[in-house]
Amino acid sequence: MLNFLWVIMIFAAVAAGLLMGRVKEISDALLASCGNAVNLSITMLGSMCLWSGLMRVAEKAGLVDGLARLLKGVFRFLFQGIPKGHPANGAIAMSLSADLLGLGNAATPLGIMAMKELSHVNGDAPRASNAMVMFAVVNAACIQLIPATVLIIRQQAGSSNPTSIMPAVWIASAVSLVSGIVAAKLMEKRRERL
Amino acid sequence: MDFLANLAIPAVILFIVLSAYLKGVPVFDTFIEGAKEGAKTAFEILPVMVGILAAVSMLNASGLFDVLTSLIKGPLALIGIPAEIIPILLIRPFSGSASLGLFTEQIKLYGADSYLGRTLSTIISSSETVLYTLAVYFGGTPVKDTRHAVAAALISSYAGMLTAIYICRIL
Repeated sequence: MLNFLWVIMIFAAVAAGLLMGRVKEISDALLASCGNAVNLSITMLGSMCLWSGLMRVAEKAGLVDGLARLLKGVFRFLFQGIPKGHPANGAIAMSLSADLLGLGNAATPLGIMAMKELSHVNGDAPRASNAMVMFAVVNAACIQLIPATVLIIRQQAGSSNPTSIMPAVWIASAVSLVSGIVAAKLMEKRRERL
Repeated sequence: MDFLANLAIPAVILFIVLSAYLKGVPVFDTFIEGAKEGAKTAFEILPVMVGILAAVSMLNASGLFDVLTSLIKGPLALIGIPAEIIPILLIRPFSGSASLGLFTEQIKLYGADSYLGRTLSTIISSSETVLYTLAVYFGGTPVKDTRHAVAAALISSYAGMLTAIYICRIL
């Protein structure tokens, strides 16, 4: 799917750029993007190290297992086929907790590590397992209780009540999460039958 | 609330390190061991980032989103979606920095407490940069076939964004 999307994106960009006479802007942006990608990666390199390290410490302290046991019911429904006591359970629990708490910087590294563990369960096959797809979809649905960045931007934009959007955010996030889970579940069944 | 938000990360770190130390874990050695693995993964993801950001930056610069906006403005108005919201609906799944930049501009223009301002805030808060998230998450694994991940994530994202548009009329 990413193969297809990538070609479509690049084709659409070049075609639109030719039509709108923005070819120079495209090539400038392209060059700048490589630098941006490296900057982002370097920033992420730091937080990946920090959170992978802390994760290992939490694992050794038995904190991760405790968290995984707490979330066991959710796991059995969403991420099927993960053996009991596999590190993937703990990694998913840590990553989802970081998401909920709004620890944005921690959530991505922890999520990437959880995905790696899920891939090990899947025998490191080139085809994603149902559990891997579900984990990606749940993360892309962005479950966040306090949208800190947006609240700050609202305040700077002169809002008299920045937090007034919170109920709407919770409802929209819940709808997004539920429809993502339902969509993933429906599609995994259909694919299996084929 | 600012204080609590700022406290979250230091408190989590202190809790992890302290409880490990009390259980006799060699905390710093263990931390380094884990951090090395994190560094390796981050390097594996760098090429994925370059590929995704390159394509996204080309799309942003091409003006395609302006063309699309004027094309679908009419039909979307029929189901109650204001034209001002359309650019963010199109850009959000592709680019985090572009949609956040656009949001910051628009909220000043329309006013943070207006219907448009609240709707835009809700959309940004309840959705994620789907394409980037998927690429980065799968980027650390040998997966080539992501199956229905992109489709399901996009469905989830647009369901959330549409809900934001309608719910902000009531709330």
